[in-house]
Amino acid sequence: MLALTLRGLGARKLRTALTATSIVLGVALVSGTFILTDTINRSFDRIFAQGASGFDVSVTPRQAVKSQNVQTPPISQSLVPRVQAVAGVRRAIGEVFREAVIYGRDGKRLSTHAPNFVASANPAPFSAFHYVQGRPPRAPGEVGLDRHTVQDQGWRLGDRIAVSGNAPLQRFRLMGAAKYGNVDSLAGASVAVLTLPEAQRVAGQPGQVDGIDVLTQPGVPPRTVVGRLRAALPAGVTVRTAQAQAQQQARDVKSNFRFITTALLAFAGIALFVGGFMIFNTFSITVAQRMREFALLRTLGASRRQVLRAVVVEALLVGLGSSLIGLLAGLGLAPGLNGLFKAFGASLPFAARTVIVSLLVGTGITVVSSLLPALRATRVPPIAALREGAILPPGRGRRWRTPLALGCVAIGVAIIAYGLFGSVGSGGSVAGLLGAGAVVVFLGVGMVSSQLVRPLASVVGRPLERLTGLTGRLARENAIRNPGRTAVTAAALMIGLALVTFVTIFAAGTRGSVNEAIDQTFHSNLVIRNTNNFGTFSGAVDQAVSQVPGVRFATPVLYAPSKVTGAGRANATGLDPRTGSQVFHVKWKRGSPRTLATLGPHDAVAKKGWASKHDFHVGGTIRVLTPSSRHLTLRIRGLYTDRLSFGGDYIVPAATVAADYGIKDEQYSLVRFQPGADAAAVRSAVDRLISARFPEVEARTLKQFKHDQAKQINQLLGLIYVLLSLSVIVSLFGIVNTLALSIHERTRELGMLRAIGTSRRQVRRIVRYESVITALIGAALGMVLGVCFALIISRPLESQGFALEFPVGTLLLLLVLAALAGVVAAIGPARRAARLNVLDALAYE
Amino acid sequence: MPSDAVISAVDLHRRFGEGDAAVDALVGVSLDFERGRFTAIMGPSGSGKSTLMHILAGLDRPTAGDVLVDGVSLESLDDTRLTQLRRDTFGFIFQFFNLLPVLTAEENVVLPLSIAGRKPDRQWVDELIERVGLSDRRTHRPSELSGGQQQRVAVARALVTRPAVLFADEPTGNLDSTASGEVLALLRGAVDDYGQTVVMVTHDEEAASIGDRTVVLTDGRIVEDSLAPVAA
Repeated sequence: MLALTLRGLGARKLRTALTATSIVLGVALVSGTFILTDTINRSFDRIFAQGASGFDVSVTPRQAVKSQNVQTPPISQSLVPRVQAVAGVRRAIGEVFREAVIYGRDGKRLSTHAPNFVASANPAPFSAFHYVQGRPPRAPGEVGLDRHTVQDQGWRLGDRIAVSGNAPLQRFRLMGAAKYGNVDSLAGASVAVLTLPEAQRVAGQPGQVDGIDVLTQPGVPPRTVVGRLRAALPAGVTVRTAQAQAQQQARDVKSNFRFITTALLAFAGIALFVGGFMIFNTFSITVAQRMREFALLRTLGASRRQVLRAVVVEALLVGLGSSLIGLLAGLGLAPGLNGLFKAFGASLPFAARTVIVSLLVGTGITVVSSLLPALRATRVPPIAALREGAILPPGRGRRWRTPLALGCVAIGVAIIAYGLFGSVGSGGSVAGLLGAGAVVVFLGVGMVSSQLVRPLASVVGRPLERLTGLTGRLARENAIRNPGRTAVTAAALMIGLALVTFVTIFAAGTRGSVNEAIDQTFHSNLVIRNTNNFGTFSGAVDQAVSQVPGVRFATPVLYAPSKVTGAGRANATGLDPRTGSQVFHVKWKRGSPRTLATLGPHDAVAKKGWASKHDFHVGGTIRVLTPSSRHLTLRIRGLYTDRLSFGGDYIVPAATVAADYGIKDEQYSLVRFQPGADAAAVRSAVDRLISARFPEVEARTLKQFKHDQAKQINQLLGLIYVLLSLSVIVSLFGIVNTLALSIHERTRELGMLRAIGTSRRQVRRIVRYESVITALIGAALGMVLGVCFALIISRPLESQGFALEFPVGTLLLLLVLAALAGVVAAIGPARRAARLNVLDALAYE
Repeated sequence: MPSDAVISAVDLHRRFGEGDAAVDALVGVSLDFERGRFTAIMGPSGSGKSTLMHILAGLDRPTAGDVLVDGVSLESLDDTRLTQLRRDTFGFIFQFFNLLPVLTAEENVVLPLSIAGRKPDRQWVDELIERVGLSDRRTHRPSELSGGQQQRVAVARALVTRPAVLFADEPTGNLDSTASGEVLALLRGAVDDYGQTVVMVTHDEEAASIGDRTVVLTDGRIVEDSLAPVAA
């Protein structure tokens, strides 16, 4: 029996290959994602292990409020002698390691994807930098760089390297190129090494350090020293062994990348889900076509179980084979994904987890999808072998199908609604619920869609029929001849298109909402922001720009994470009360712009929704824990609403954020010109100043600023399109496969058509139109679903100022693309149908 | 005679459809088939001969009446037992050969054994293939064989399990006269040399004449049952 299965697969090579493709693509993305993740993780493990190899114990500022975006504020250098005084400490040094900007030969920042750092040159045993060329910096004005960056830029010793941080751009003489321990590349990052005081000055933290590295006395275990240091030092620091610190740092960085893994796996899941539809369809069709074979086996004494096993084993082999190919393809895909995210060096080979998950998922989906068709195969009665033209008995569950389908849709919607409106908690579980709900809805619509094929085929097929006459009519009839088959084929495309439609509408809504929010909030002449559009920059920019003739003021917008008692994590926005209130507008519910203008150092105004959710009131106080481990009590002076949270959860004076939150770098600087100033002239003066001293930022008009935001959204949208296109490709293979199988089934009929004078071109057309009709049915279903999803999922965001927009033009374009995809999918099958030899086709048994 | 019946039909009725559209294919057919005999069931189209065979072979169920195989009532058997019966007790030859196109001639011959998970008796398989004259066609696919050759593969396949009863449904219906003669001779030989019991449905008198006994059905009733072959 196994031989029979194998032989059968061999005999149906094309179908097997097409079926396998759907699994190969999905599994390749799974395995590629894991390989990428492993590569990233290994790089960071090694980098941090190297960094901690030169000492025993590490003292770092306590991260009071965890945040990916904000570096923990530094600690005082005065702690170094206190550490040194603890028994068992041989030597302690303070070090600086903080984000900065290094400029390349072309005057632009080195990379917008991997970070740049400024670090202090640490003495011999502590430093992980080993100079392979030149020497470390010893005087102000000298710099050392990691060798990878030096080679990449083609720099030589003595070159002058531009670096800016909290301090304006300054050039340093390159004294040496260093390897970082034994790793070649710092995951794409670049490090400029300066003397400690210079590093402190550039990082904007004189008298402060980001960590204290400790060597212990021989014979004293690091753990003992850790205990003593914890007792001796204030609460604002964390003491760990160097090894534990390295692991913690690697964990923190790796967790920042986890969302990439999750997102990629989600897209792989979508592709595999679509693949499942296709496998279900292929197996359903072939079971129907092989009915006589199964009947014969049953007549010869094969049990139902043996028939079931024959089909399932076939699925198992196809699944396993394509998973293996997918696993290997992942190896090729990983560098591509790597490029997509501009991350890391050489790919790692397979980890056991990669192999197991890839094979299990790919094979599992194939086998599960084949189960229903396999069960139908067992219901073929042996007598079918003896009768001509017997048809497969209808599935027993047919009567229950529509109620079941509608039930699925209802349950799916309920799951989505629970995710949106139930208090589920973390964003991760909300996304999980939305995904699960969508899957159930897709299954339900997939089941019920066979009922919709007939009317939909009429809608999309009639115009075609009017245009093309008989060929169009035959195509439409063929499409509805087996509604279940067309439905499942279309449903596979539906999934991809529903998601494309959903993200398109959502992105359009986001673009529009961001535009409106900017219009409402920002009332300056210019917005200064980091050129990478997400980083922060030094407050020195404000001071310098304020001096430009024609500028009335430049005022900062700072963002800081915090923890508020009774409300958990909350985002603080820092504004200068006097100037900020003029150019940063919110809608006042309690209070007025004057409230903001007269905000005292321990006053705050809160966003209304946030405040009422946590029962905070005007006149009351909130208890805040800041990133620099301070506890503040802030009095609420007013309530506001603002769209899309440019104002965070609450607003405090910028000076408070700098002093008490330890965050001095700003997100935006809003520039207001003098009344009557020549805007163009002032603008170019500001630009000149920036390019000379702060090239990491740029000044944008509000119009440009809006354009930047839209561009960023579009970039993300493009990335999502690329990843979703995988699912669409899988569903197109589904159309190809279904067409090929249907043509095979209709060989005799096609022969008859040709015999009575239908031209090859007409035969091709019939196939092509059938494909287009199927694709359009899928597209129509998908778009309706996508619009529904967008309507449902945007509901809770409306209170946050999100307004849906329907980009009708783009959606129409999608429909046209779907029809074109149908044409493309039909190329192969149509050619095959047209090439049939008339006599052979008629003689075909 | 009844004492040696391998298979017996007991007052078989078979009705297709319901109400006005109902058609009675069999109306009270009782028959015994003796071991080692070649029985031809004849009759015009729609006489119920094929239905009778389907019911005898457990492929279809009667509306009333019963079939006894070695004294066991088919009525009492569930799908699993029926499946075993088909596998171990019956052999089949069809009008349209029904070979699996992906398997070679020899693989088709041993297919029933593969299904049962039994090791083929090499000598027996070789003898069968030799006997049906396909020794040089063992590795050919059905598509590479003529109609007569395909049907000879089907005969070997039907005999490979040494079934108690071999059912043949219009085995010559799709063959020219030469090929028909070869296939019929093989069936005759199986009865004479191996003591095989054969039940063959045919509407071809010449084919029927090779049997030991001829049963003629018309409108679902036995109208003739003669031990001597019908005059050729």
